[in-house]
Amino acid sequence: MRRPSKACPFCETRVRFVDYKDERTLGRFITDHGKILPSRLSGVCARHQRQLSTAVKRARYLALLPYTKGLQG
Amino acid sequence: MPRPYEAVYVFDSTLEDSAVTEKLDRFHQLLGTTGEMKVDHWGRRQLAYPIGPRENGYYVVARFEAETAGIPEYERALKLDEGVIRYLLTIFEHEVGAPPMTEEELALAKKRGEDDDEDEE
Repeated sequence: MRRPSKACPFCETRVRFVDYKDERTLGRFITDHGKILPSRLSGVCARHQRQLSTAVKRARYLALLPYTKGLQG
Repeated sequence: MPRPYEAVYVFDSTLEDSAVTEKLDRFHQLLGTTGEMKVDHWGRRQLAYPIGPRENGYYVVARFEAETAGIPEYERALKLDEGVIRYLLTIFEHEVGAPPMTEEELALAKKRGEDDDEDEE
């Protein structure tokens, strides 16, 4: 059975390039522990998921996003 | 060949604003920038995780066109400066004033996305 495909949130807002400086948007695509959310859960299209992955990694380096969170110690 | 760059600097938040501006001027002089230079000060904000003893950083975003030959010297100066906690230099890939995706492009992207899905499960 093929499940219905979700619309990509980036395509819907006509985003051409995912911005690594926009940590508020990126924050929606990380898990409670700070991992990048798989596109299977978020519905992000393959092209934007690739951009998102780079963007999150850049944002982490600049301390805009945490590498890990929600863990003790 | 000049290329468009975007640089994000994270300065030590204990630096005076004037000291930050002065440092920026010094770095940007090394570039010998052609064309305009856009500097956007985000100001002080909390870091997502502590870097050494620091909890806060002063963020500055700069966009410029520069010759590739000047970049190594510029990066060397950034690395040597103790006031710069982090910096990230990227090729600025957004076309200048690029419009958001048009209807046709969206349809095309959608179609491509659907093709990708067929491999799954």
